[in-house]
Amino acid sequence: MWAYIARRLVQGLAVIALVVTATFVLIRLAPGDPFAATLDSPTVSAETRARWSAHYGFDRPVPVQFARYFATIVQGDFGYSTSQRRPVGDVLADALPNTLLLMFVALVLSFALGIALGVFQAVRRGTAPDRLLGSVTLFFYSMPDFWLALMMMLTFAYWIPLFPVTGMVDAVMYPYWPFWRQMLDRLHHLVLPALTLTLLTAAVIARYQRAAMLDVVHDEYVRTARAKGLAERAIVRRHALRNALLPVITLFGLAFPALLGGAVFVERIFSWPGMGFLTFNAIMTRDYHLVTGSVIVGGVMVVVGSLLADVLYAAADPRLRRP
Amino acid sequence: MRGSWGAWMVAAAIVALVTLPLLRPPRIRDESAGPWRMIMRRFRQNRGARTALGIVLALYIIAALAPALAPYPPNAQPDPIAMQVLAPSVAHLMGTDLASRDVFSRVLHGARVSLAIGLLAVLLSITVGTIYGAAAGFIGGKTDAVMMRIIDALLSIPRILLLIMVTALWGQLSILLLVVLIGMTGWFGVSRVVRAEVMAVSAREFVISARSLGASRLRVLSRHVLPNVLSPVIVAATLGIGNVIILETGLSFLGLGVQPPQPSWGSIIQDGAQQVSAHWWISVFPGLAIVTTVMAFNAVGEGLRDALDPR
Amino acid sequence: MRISLASAALALLSLGCADRDSTTDGDAPTGGTLVIASAADAGTLLPPLIDDVSGKQVADQIFDRLAEIGAEVNTIGDRGFTPRLAQRWDWAADSLSIAFHLDADARWHDGRPVRASDVRFSHAVYRDPAVASPHAEVITNVDSISVRDSLTAVVWFARRTPEQFFEATHQLLIVPEHLLRDIARKDLATSAFARNPVGSGRFRFVRWTPGATIEIIADTANYRGRARLDRVIWSFAPDPTAAATKVFAGEADYFEALRREQIPEVEKNPLLRTLRYPQLAYTFVGFNTRNTLFANRELRRALVMAVDRQKLVRSVFDSLTSVATGPFIRAAAPAIPPIPQIAFDTVRAGATLDSLGWRDSNADGIRDRAGRPLTFSLLVPGTSAFRIRMAVLLQEELRRVGVDMKVEQLDINMMGDRQNTRRFDAIFGGWNLDPSPSGIRQTFTTVATKPGGFNYTHYSNPVFDALVDSAATTMNPEQSRGYYERAYGIIVQDAPVMFMYEFQGLAVAHRRLNITGIRPEAWWAGIADWSIAADQRIERDQIGLRVAPK
Repeated sequence: MWAYIARRLVQGLAVIALVVTATFVLIRLAPGDPFAATLDSPTVSAETRARWSAHYGFDRPVPVQFARYFATIVQGDFGYSTSQRRPVGDVLADALPNTLLLMFVALVLSFALGIALGVFQAVRRGTAPDRLLGSVTLFFYSMPDFWLALMMMLTFAYWIPLFPVTGMVDAVMYPYWPFWRQMLDRLHHLVLPALTLTLLTAAVIARYQRAAMLDVVHDEYVRTARAKGLAERAIVRRHALRNALLPVITLFGLAFPALLGGAVFVERIFSWPGMGFLTFNAIMTRDYHLVTGSVIVGGVMVVVGSLLADVLYAAADPRLRRP
Repeated sequence: MRGSWGAWMVAAAIVALVTLPLLRPPRIRDESAGPWRMIMRRFRQNRGARTALGIVLALYIIAALAPALAPYPPNAQPDPIAMQVLAPSVAHLMGTDLASRDVFSRVLHGARVSLAIGLLAVLLSITVGTIYGAAAGFIGGKTDAVMMRIIDALLSIPRILLLIMVTALWGQLSILLLVVLIGMTGWFGVSRVVRAEVMAVSAREFVISARSLGASRLRVLSRHVLPNVLSPVIVAATLGIGNVIILETGLSFLGLGVQPPQPSWGSIIQDGAQQVSAHWWISVFPGLAIVTTVMAFNAVGEGLRDALDPR
Repeated sequence: MRISLASAALALLSLGCADRDSTTDGDAPTGGTLVIASAADAGTLLPPLIDDVSGKQVADQIFDRLAEIGAEVNTIGDRGFTPRLAQRWDWAADSLSIAFHLDADARWHDGRPVRASDVRFSHAVYRDPAVASPHAEVITNVDSISVRDSLTAVVWFARRTPEQFFEATHQLLIVPEHLLRDIARKDLATSAFARNPVGSGRFRFVRWTPGATIEIIADTANYRGRARLDRVIWSFAPDPTAAATKVFAGEADYFEALRREQIPEVEKNPLLRTLRYPQLAYTFVGFNTRNTLFANRELRRALVMAVDRQKLVRSVFDSLTSVATGPFIRAAAPAIPPIPQIAFDTVRAGATLDSLGWRDSNADGIRDRAGRPLTFSLLVPGTSAFRIRMAVLLQEELRRVGVDMKVEQLDINMMGDRQNTRRFDAIFGGWNLDPSPSGIRQTFTTVATKPGGFNYTHYSNPVFDALVDSAATTMNPEQSRGYYERAYGIIVQDAPVMFMYEFQGLAVAHRRLNITGIRPEAWWAGIADWSIAADQRIERDQIGLRVAPK
């Protein structure tokens, strides 16, 4: 088991290194530079911009830049963000917990909801509730996340103003509230973005879970159990569910990059200061170090996520346990 | 793409040819012949899938006939002052947008873009993915392991971020380039599926016996392996179209995909997203169009999967 | 709800009256919290390096200038200025130096008094190449600053110019020497001060949560009197729509860039109102005059003639903005008479194009000549929804006279690149103007066509250059205006660009705010005097002067 994990970690590192190199080269090849935001002001001359560029080392040839960057990365320094004018490490440290919070809540809720729905549907296969839920999950499964986010905003911020639409906490009052009120405020702001992500992901999981359950229900040993006279529920609980969870666990590994990417739109529309939105902005402002930094963090999260999924899978399925 | 009547009629005709046989309801006394007929029969028994397929066909026909069906030219701005943001009415079924353009006409023309990009990008994806996966599965050994690790690396990048990075960095892309870009970022999953199938089938007896009889590798590949691989690939392709459509609309929403004034469902949504409460119809209707289209493709894909692999 | 005096910094910040609630102080009430929604986070709060709007807004509250320009934005001489850090000033007989006498009561927010050496230090930092300040270029006329005594700083000029007082005072925010002198100049950008500034203004800095908020609080012992409001918070959103949403949702009180479609939303809300204010910015469609197509003056004029700019502007902005009539803002130059324009005339435009040989020979709706169609592409920044909308409308206008204009939407970096390398046909650009009209030398004169210069349309007219030079160096304001007027007339007729619209600011504000002191180039200039009546206070106004722990 441990050898397996170690091997996967090494592979993961190689993957991250590959991705980072590609990003590094890609973004530097693109036209434009990090100091273009001062376009509309005719007071910032080309000399000033050239000086800034030299200060950050962006005027050196790309391989030289990469070597220097690699050296600093190994020491744990992610470089300097030109758009936020502070170390990239600080920027990431601020944004990462926000994304993790949103992703964690969305993951837990969507897996819980999705698995429950899938099981419910599988047990009542062919009946009206199954078909209805099937249409509902298909509906959400086919929806673009940015559109759902917009509709949520339209409904719950404008038409029925129940939830706040922007930010993580109240901009003004938060530091001055008692703890319980602060927590309530956090939850309040979390609802819309988390709900958007949850609905979409839960739909995917529900469909997979239903299909996986139906697969298993036909399996031999389940038929044997039925022949032995066990009640349907018991069969579901004891045999089918545990085995049907396996394919869904692999979804866990896929959910990470999906949520990370899907969060870009949701974070943007709801002004949630997380990694997806940060990366998008960094790309737009050609903030080289920040882009590579976010890619590294994103890559690590994805690798860890899929590793976790594989370990869970191996742990759950006794047939797959490696010696 | 715009006004190219010929291309669209051909495309719609092809789609019709492929889908019409599948639309007939199954007759009780069907003489079941080969495995393909069985598959088609099972598909036709699935009413949901049949309806979805009908919708897909209708969409392609509508897209092909868009210039005729649209009541107004999609880019006409009759009066950007007085006729801005009119609510839906009989004259303008989906209202007008900020430049007084008729939203319904734009949505119809936007269907062309989305369906075209969807189909072409997916075709590119499955072609590249099949070749790559078949090669990996067939060659096996160390090469296969390396090839698959590369796929793992590529799969771990969120596709949307990769697309954003490339489109943002290189500015405006023509529709062709967009198709290539989306297609070339979507073949990783297909290659995995194909490789698994190839390896599974290669181990089957009839292939081994064929090879022992001296058949060349290529012949074995083309006559025995590929036909079996085809089914999951078709399923992946159909499900993939929905994904591609969502991706393209997402890019257009960010201003990175299709360029103005070309209407795309994503860019129409973006037009209205500025103040979605003041003119909700600009963003709601194209979104519904996307959902309907993707739902139809997904339902067809799942119907195909159930038909190919019944439980 | 406890007052925390835990950290030393906080102890300093609550110097004064830590527990004072809103009281009526003379005529206007003090107290209240203003939340400004903003679409872009600040980059830095170190004055020499600030080049973004949010940073400017915050810095103008925390720091002071020697003298502040008045609402008419009169940049000539010193009559249009009011004392700030400098209580009074004396001109030398030859006008090559001005002695500024600082207010003896001026204090930095950490308690130390403001000295003339701070002024000298500030100037040195602004000019130091190691700091690479974007403002260094515009204060080149200030040769040096010397210290006559602890409260008198003498500014020495290289030349007499009509705007030398403006140059000496407007760009220079005075920073504390004692806090910055020990930091290496090249490290100033990354110093702690840049994210934790200490100034002398009527507000002091509290905290900056990156990407979320910047918070400042009234400096109760300030030499110019306490600010009316208790605190001001900038709340950042990813884009203008989200920022406006904050105000509509009651999470913010003010947003500076409302769009006219949002006005009905404001009217539905009894707590909000709209506010119009002048702005010093205009947009234009710039033609690359080195391009074979646009080298021809008559062709450019024909294109301008073909477009009903009035209709386009009304469609996008209704009556909130007016067509730009030249490279200036009419609200900022009321004394200049109307500049003769190229009249909207599609018939004449068509005739001109015909005479140049552009006719539609293959009946496809687009004119052509010798087999080549009359087509070009317009670059538009993807970040400006207004310009994109206008570009689409413009496309239709031009199509009606047989011109095929393609719209290329680019992100700001791509735009910058194409602009600087002059690889474009036409570009939908804009300028944020300095209060001084002489800024036109950077944008449209021949000198500015050199690589790295901002005259990217490559417009070059020696008569125009001469007029602008005269205008900028004449000491007589009326004569100067006359020169500018003639220069503007020439550039409008030469049509190297199609002047599109002057920005007019449309803001949404909470009704409880009493807003005052708006200046065209800085609506935020008078925030220290904004107030909220005691009977209209809402929850966030009740915080008072408390500072929550970080």
